[in-house]
Amino acid sequence: MIRERKKLNFADYLKRTEQITERMLTSGWNEASSTIEPLSDIILGATEVVVTMDLPYVDPNAVQVNVIADDIIEVQAKTKHKIRLNDLGVKHRKGEFTLYHSVLHMPVPVNEEGMTHKLKRGILEIHLPRQT
Amino acid sequence: MPRKEKKTQSQTIEPVRVVQKRSLSRRFTLMNGLPDVGLVGVVAGSQIVSSLGMKEVGTVESELFPPLVVLHEGVPKSPIRIYGKGSLAVIIAETAIPAGVVYPLAEAIVNWASSTGADLILSIGGMAVQNRQDIESPKVFAALSDKKLSKLLNGAAEVLGEGYIVGAYALMLKRCAEIGLPAIALLTQSFYNYPDPEAAAAAVKSVNKILGLDVDTSELLRKGEEIRLRGKDVMKRTQTEMARINKSQEYDVPPLYG
Repeated sequence: MIRERKKLNFADYLKRTEQITERMLTSGWNEASSTIEPLSDIILGATEVVVTMDLPYVDPNAVQVNVIADDIIEVQAKTKHKIRLNDLGVKHRKGEFTLYHSVLHMPVPVNEEGMTHKLKRGILEIHLPRQT
Repeated sequence: MPRKEKKTQSQTIEPVRVVQKRSLSRRFTLMNGLPDVGLVGVVAGSQIVSSLGMKEVGTVESELFPPLVVLHEGVPKSPIRIYGKGSLAVIIAETAIPAGVVYPLAEAIVNWASSTGADLILSIGGMAVQNRQDIESPKVFAALSDKKLSKLLNGAAEVLGEGYIVGAYALMLKRCAEIGLPAIALLTQSFYNYPDPEAAAAAVKSVNKILGLDVDTSELLRKGEEIRLRGKDVMKRTQTEMARINKSQEYDVPPLYG
């Protein structure tokens, strides 16, 4: 299925820039939603986009990847057990986390069809074919 | 007539200062565990410090660092600390090194080491490889301030012949070569922007061989997931600083040959 690429207006551009900046600057422990923003990387290849993500404490079968727009993917991965800030030595916050969650903007439009992903050494690797 | 300027205190203070609080052995090896690729140096350095029961002997201070302290057991600590025991000192940083501090930090560390009796600077870091997920046993490479130092490696690392090194370790190697202070940068194959405890374990094994230590690495592998999760935030900030100093140039191939 070929989707039409949505053109960004200035307001969308600003919003996206804000989102990226916020993601860069915040620590990624979202106590309100009990989610952790994982470290990730995007590599643009000639025929595909490769996304990697560091997901410690995740079961390989508990990873869900969705293409939610031509150039946006969403990743959710359940942790094997509750991760408590308290267990990491942080006593003044009461965060408990059970899910990694990330919404990533792709550098080019991608196809959901043909997408593959695998978890190896705790690193998720997603291959997304580029739209032609 | 031009006014004679008064020399103020700020003009005489170095931008980065090593503050030594306790004495070290007359001759010692200085190991660096600064945050860079895969946080290999920080993770390996921490394991060595805790395994050998090393005590804090000093700090590295600068107004150019972010205004922060790290709390450990309720006690405020400088984020860059020096630990010592016997003839070994280890510098560990618990915060990303701002790109603008790399030059004065490298200079301050080398100046302090050479003036206090260090006979070797051993810097522990990562070397990013794109196929890291497929590598079972990360290899360790060594960049030397002097070719003759290869005999110290004791088979623990392969000497790097050609390539770029970017960051504080690069500057330290260059400065040490200039002043004749032996220096080795041990660079282990690792993820670029994910904390890599397996690579840190390989680095510690190499340090064991070079310095004749017996630091256990099994904990790094057993607690790998926890280390990766704990290192997530420092790795993220380090990644930003690595981009500022063009760390990715380490992937480049030097143009000259022959």
